[in-house]
Amino acid sequence: MKLRTSPPFVLLAAVVLVVVTACSPGSASGGGGGDPKAFEFWSMSGIDQQRSVDQYVEKHPDIKVGLTEVGSSQETAQALTTALAGGKVPDLVLIQGDELPKFLEQPQNFHDLREFGADEIKGDYLDWVMAQATAEGGEIIGIPTDVGGLAVAYRTDLFAAAGLPTDRDEVSALWPTWDDFIATGQRYVAATGKPFVDNVPTSVFYQAVNQVSQKYYDDAGNPIYADNPEVKEAFDIALRAIDAGISAKFSYASEGWNAALPRGDYAVVSAPSWMLNSFTRIAPDTAGKWDIATIPGGAGNWGGSYLAIPARAANPEAAWNYIKEMQAPERQLSHFLDVGTLPTTPAVYDDPRLVEATEPFFSDAPIGKIYTQAVLGLQPFHMGPDTGTIGSEFLNALVDVEQAGGDPATAWDRAVGNIRTAIGQ
Amino acid sequence: MTTTPVTTTSPRRQLLPPAGADRRRRQLPFVEALTPYAYIAPFFVLFAIFGLLPFLFTFYVALFDWNPIGDQTFIGLDNFTRMLADPRFWNATGNTLSVWLLSTLPQLALALLLAHVLNHARLRFANFFRMAMLVPYITSVAATAIVFAQLFDRNYGLLNWLLGLAGIGPIDFVQSTWGSHLLIAIMVAWRWFGYSTLLYLASLQAVPRDIYEAASIDGAGGWKQFVHITIPSLRPIIIFTVVTSTIGGLQIFTEPLLISPGSLTCGPVRQCQTLSLFLYEQGFGQYEFGYGSAIGVALFVMVIVAALINYLLSSRIRADR
Amino acid sequence: MTMESTTSGTATSGTATGASVGEAVTGAPPGRGRHRGLLGRVRWWNYLLLAGATFLCVFPLYWMFIVASTDTATATRMPPEIVPGGNFFQLAGLVFDTVPFLQSILNSLFVATSIGVGHAVLCALAGFAFAKLRFRGNNVLFLIVVLTMTVPTQLAVIPQYMIISWLGWVDTLQALVVPGLASAFGIFWMRQHISTTITDELIQAARIDGASTWQIFWRIAFPIVRPAAFVLGLFGFVSAWNDFLWPFIVLKSPERFTAQIAIKALQNERTIDLGLAMSGSFLATLPLLVLFVFVGRRMVAGILDGAFKG
Repeated sequence: MKLRTSPPFVLLAAVVLVVVTACSPGSASGGGGGDPKAFEFWSMSGIDQQRSVDQYVEKHPDIKVGLTEVGSSQETAQALTTALAGGKVPDLVLIQGDELPKFLEQPQNFHDLREFGADEIKGDYLDWVMAQATAEGGEIIGIPTDVGGLAVAYRTDLFAAAGLPTDRDEVSALWPTWDDFIATGQRYVAATGKPFVDNVPTSVFYQAVNQVSQKYYDDAGNPIYADNPEVKEAFDIALRAIDAGISAKFSYASEGWNAALPRGDYAVVSAPSWMLNSFTRIAPDTAGKWDIATIPGGAGNWGGSYLAIPARAANPEAAWNYIKEMQAPERQLSHFLDVGTLPTTPAVYDDPRLVEATEPFFSDAPIGKIYTQAVLGLQPFHMGPDTGTIGSEFLNALVDVEQAGGDPATAWDRAVGNIRTAIGQ
Repeated sequence: MTTTPVTTTSPRRQLLPPAGADRRRRQLPFVEALTPYAYIAPFFVLFAIFGLLPFLFTFYVALFDWNPIGDQTFIGLDNFTRMLADPRFWNATGNTLSVWLLSTLPQLALALLLAHVLNHARLRFANFFRMAMLVPYITSVAATAIVFAQLFDRNYGLLNWLLGLAGIGPIDFVQSTWGSHLLIAIMVAWRWFGYSTLLYLASLQAVPRDIYEAASIDGAGGWKQFVHITIPSLRPIIIFTVVTSTIGGLQIFTEPLLISPGSLTCGPVRQCQTLSLFLYEQGFGQYEFGYGSAIGVALFVMVIVAALINYLLSSRIRADR
Repeated sequence: MTMESTTSGTATSGTATGASVGEAVTGAPPGRGRHRGLLGRVRWWNYLLLAGATFLCVFPLYWMFIVASTDTATATRMPPEIVPGGNFFQLAGLVFDTVPFLQSILNSLFVATSIGVGHAVLCALAGFAFAKLRFRGNNVLFLIVVLTMTVPTQLAVIPQYMIISWLGWVDTLQALVVPGLASAFGIFWMRQHISTTITDELIQAARIDGASTWQIFWRIAFPIVRPAAFVLGLFGFVSAWNDFLWPFIVLKSPERFTAQIAIKALQNERTIDLGLAMSGSFLATLPLLVLFVFVGRRMVAGILDGAFKG
């Protein structure tokens, strides 16, 4: 008997071989694999994380950083979850503040950064920001990269055309409260016939609801979203703004929002510090036509992110070295000077480079001064595991009223009902 | 001439009687008996690991509160009672049904008409038209979703501009309920109508020409021939395509995901969230593997119901003949 | 007269009784109007309908190219531009800068080719076994194959993901290739095809000549059904190329993305340019369009032969 090697078996074997060889390099290893000089880094898109990475690699030419911009903050968190659930994890991941509480519930999925000496540096960061990255058992799972702060970006040329003042102090004086903001919007719409603000749900509700003393949870961690009068008030302000007809109805970062920004199809956007960079990228031709005023209703924060190291990271040391170096106060300051994201390290808030920082795109507005004022007077509130979900359900109810003709009278009840269904309490 | 012994053996071998050949081959009866199993093994092995196992596992996981990055707790049928009381589940079911109806009916009607016309005996450029029908099929769902979302954009889309010329106010094809269902249905129908046309045409070509001829001699025109010959002779394949599109409709995922980028709910009030997207949202967005699996089980039940209806309908048609 | 009408004309005269019928279809000038409907002259509105359908099929692709070749300001201007602009290569360059797009095209090619070849060979092999070999459990096993066709595997994505992660295959291309190598439908179809095109006598004769089962399959059966297996492989290739949900769940790193996931990544980068995702979509569709020009006719013929009637 003779064993025949038949062509199809050769072919099959070849296919299998190709499969295995084409896929195996790096496939089994998480992140940088065995190479201690390399690490994998997942970030959100649209915030130009590449710039920081490039700077780091320039200083450490022997280090290789594999940066992946996964998508929106929600998508990044989802990708991280599926990764934690099985398979490859990055060595370093950027998590948006609203998504963090969910991960904080399961601290065993991450390195407790105290292993690397996070205790020694945690005093550098704002207390309340640090507290939001600390689990119940005291594990520190994230180091904050930035906070949002609140402010309003507006088009000076469009304001002038509408007969409104254009100077940032005068504009700030137009709207000490949200109702004044709505009234200003109505003046603008009456004068120009064009919408005033990009959209109400993010530019009004997400700002107002972050200017509270307690948000969706009380200080003991019990959910109070349904009964908290401060949240209800923020929601009602948003409903009044929608009713006033001042909105261009472009959801933030939607295709329409991006297309409308350079066209001047709206004149005002509530812009935390991390949003400034996208203005310069989307609408470079409108440089100098923008300016920044203070937010109605007082101090507050929207957004800000944290860097964390998954427990199964292949190269946690390299990731920590990156965190330690790039998030040091001095580096946060220089990142701010580059792209405008506000540092989380109060030590630099008095630094003349920050205080005197101006942004030519926004008519030389003193962005350092404006945004630090917004976060320094801040009353921190407790965040719970479902803070992100609760926030997006409230947001969705308002988008429904604004863009899909939902009934404003029942919007609050529907939002609360949806939250109950979603989080089960 | 030295090779003579060799050359003589070979013809003799071939001249062996069949019985002898069989006997020689039966030296390895075990191997021969296993051969057929070896040929079908690749499919069954792959199916067992990546089809059957996950399928059975779905039923198992559905009995748990299964957090992929945390704990797993057995909760019996709680996921199912929760699902049946969950307005989001019924909303997704309704959306799936609505999108399916909106896409299937016009798609199959158009396909019928086109197949009838393509079956025309004297049609010119027939091959060109047939190939054109298949272009949407080779275009990916992702690319389709992106280009249609742009064409149907509320503010800067071509379609709303045309509607505006006709005096119809801009329609929000993403945020409004009917608009978003229509947009998804159009994408689905666009992708499949040409394919269905060719399926119908394939069946039509099996219909003898003399039936049309007799009708023609009796004075029946194109429309009468369409109604009285084409449609009746296509009944089995029509049912087949309806079932395929039902099963396909239960799996619509990419279109609603990509027309509302970054949002797993497909809009603020989940107005275009399909069952598949709801499953994905619960499983991979809310980290509820157990609840997501329960939705998978529900999808399975729906598929079974669709298949049963098909079976009953087609056996009735067979009985009618 | 086109080829179509001549062939169908002869077919008609073969079955019809009088010669005059065949004449009416093939020879007689259409104007005479002896026949109506499907056998008569093709009315203008039939062409209008087909032209309309063709326009529907092709226009979205054309529009993709338009937006992919203009800047954002032009793309959002009304009335719209209906001729391509000059920005195509600039945008295409941006696509390649933003994601490793060439790599993702190669990944797609690799995955789709493996699955196409897998379908063609493995389904022909199993189809052959079911059509021509007798073995215990034959019917039951085939029934299982048919039943698996109706259940969409998508409803089990969660456990599928868990299994893939246990195997350590998350973020690898074999997670896409291996589960998709064989298809129940392909087996069903190849079985039908083989049992009608290959006679038992042929196989009997080969056995008498001493051919092993494998030789019968590979030397005799497969060459005969190769055109059908090729078409099956083509459909496997196209659906693997266009698959979205599974790669979306499994793949994590940009250098492993397939073209479809690369498009999604580009869509996230809307801050750069509106046309970016559109340009990526066009580039990801282009390879299939090119392929289609060469093999589209065979795919159409595959469906018309009853290939995918089920």
